[in-house]
Amino acid sequence: MVKAGIITFLGTNCEQDTKHACDYLGWESEYIWQNEIIKKKYDVIFLPGGFSYGDHISAGRIAKLTPAVKSLPIGKSLIVGICNGFQILTEAKLLSGALTHNQNMHFISKICDLEFMNENIKLPIAHHQGNYTGNVTEEVILRYKHNENGSDERIAGIYNRKNKIIGMMPHPERAVFKELGLTDGIKIFKFIENEI
Amino acid sequence: MKKFSASVNVKLKPTIKDIKAETLKSAINNLLSVNNLHCKVNTTYNIEFEANSKTEAEKIVKTIADEILANSVIEEYKIKW
Repeated sequence: MVKAGIITFLGTNCEQDTKHACDYLGWESEYIWQNEIIKKKYDVIFLPGGFSYGDHISAGRIAKLTPAVKSLPIGKSLIVGICNGFQILTEAKLLSGALTHNQNMHFISKICDLEFMNENIKLPIAHHQGNYTGNVTEEVILRYKHNENGSDERIAGIYNRKNKIIGMMPHPERAVFKELGLTDGIKIFKFIENEI
Repeated sequence: MKKFSASVNVKLKPTIKDIKAETLKSAINNLLSVNNLHCKVNTTYNIEFEANSKTEAEKIVKTIADEILANSVIEEYKIKW
C-alpha cells in the first residue's frame, strides 16, 4: 500500500482534499506539521496547495525555511508540490524557475484545459502567482492549452526524475470525485503511483 | 556588539517582465493623463541588528537577502548601509 505524507503549513488549505484523494485511491496517508523533521519513510510526500505564511514577501519564500522542507528526503520519497507546494519547491531551488504574478495580475480560479502525457485533461487552477518564469531543466509533464497565466512555454507542471520531485500549479486533488464534476485528477494520482 | 542598519533594495532583473509596474502604469493612466510614463516597482527592506563587526554584519545581511528577500532566479538586490 502506498504511504503518503501530507505537509501542512501555516495557511495550507488543500491538505484535506489531498488526504481524501489518497483515501479514495486506497493509500495510507497522514499529515506532517511544518515544524516536524521528517524521519518516517513515505513513498510520496505532498506539499499541498493553499497559502503559507500569508505568502508574504513572495509565495513559498518563508515556508522553504521550515524544518519539514529542509528535511525532505530528496531522491528517496517522491515529492509532489501542488500550487503553493510548487511555489515552495521553486523557492527552495529544488525545482528550476520561479512562479511570478499572473500576467494579468488577477487571481485566476477556473477549470482549465491541459496537456498531460499526450492527453487532454481538465483540472482546476486557483492562484495569483503561477506564471512559470525561467529556464526549465526538468521534464515538462503538464502544459496549459490556453496559457491562462502567461507561463513560459505554457508550463503548468514539471518533473525532476533524478531527484523524484514533481511540481504543478493545477489541483488534481480537487478533481477526483465525480460529485465535484471532474475526475481527471485521478490520472495524475495514478501517474504519481506509477512513479513511486 | 555594535548596532548596524541596512537597507536592502530588491527589484526584478531587467529580463523579467515587471507585471506590477504594468498594472501601476495602467492605474495611473486611468487616474490622470501623464506623458511618456514609465514605471518600475522596487521593494526596500530596512533591517537593524547588532553584530560584532562590519564583516559579520555584511555576512548576515547577505544571507537574509539571498535566502528571504530576493529570489536569484528573477530578482537582484543592492545593500545600502
